[in-house]
Amino acid sequence: MIPIDEVKSKIEEALPGARVQVGTFSGDDHFEAVVEAPQFRGKTRVEQHRMVYAALDGLIGGAMHALALKTVPLDPDSAT
Amino acid sequence: MDAPSTLEDWTGQIKKDISENRVFVYAKGEKNAAMCGFSHRVMQIFNTIGVDFSVRNIFSDPNIRPAICAFTNWPTTPQVFIDGQFIGGCDIVTEMYQSGELQKLLEEPAASS
Repeated sequence: MIPIDEVKSKIEEALPGARVQVGTFSGDDHFEAVVEAPQFRGKTRVEQHRMVYAALDGLIGGAMHALALKTVPLDPDSAT
Repeated sequence: MDAPSTLEDWTGQIKKDISENRVFVYAKGEKNAAMCGFSHRVMQIFNTIGVDFSVRNIFSDPNIRPAICAFTNWPTTPQVFIDGQFIGGCDIVTEMYQSGELQKLLEEPAASS
């Protein structure tokens, strides 16, 4: 089982400045995440999701059975 | 033509699938008989908006899943194609349905390929 904190920190490391929320549903291997990141601006949804999948480097489809993902481009001026 | 057997055969079959069908879904399970909640939801969305779609069950041959994941550089299924373009998985299709983008895209005449 992958800890939620590990999933969160992998995404935050790959996307500095991102706001990341991670949880699980229907068991420990089904994850859900909301990722708001300035790096998503100007990218298609497919590209945004690929950036998160890349951050998780092979975990999805393996130790993470599923990741329900919502990505939101973040305005850099609103970042705190 | 013989059924595809190798990974290369399946990559060719994928290109054929998505060029010959306006809406194509690589799913866990057969059309309207999904074996996974995410595949089920995608099919339900197309049924709700009344758009016909074709499905290939990734469990019907062990090479389909690696072939489609390599083709799109996308780790999960379902995977949805419209007019030959990769649209995304369940999350993206759900977001596009909720925002009305999906219905708008499908109301337009099929993009020529």
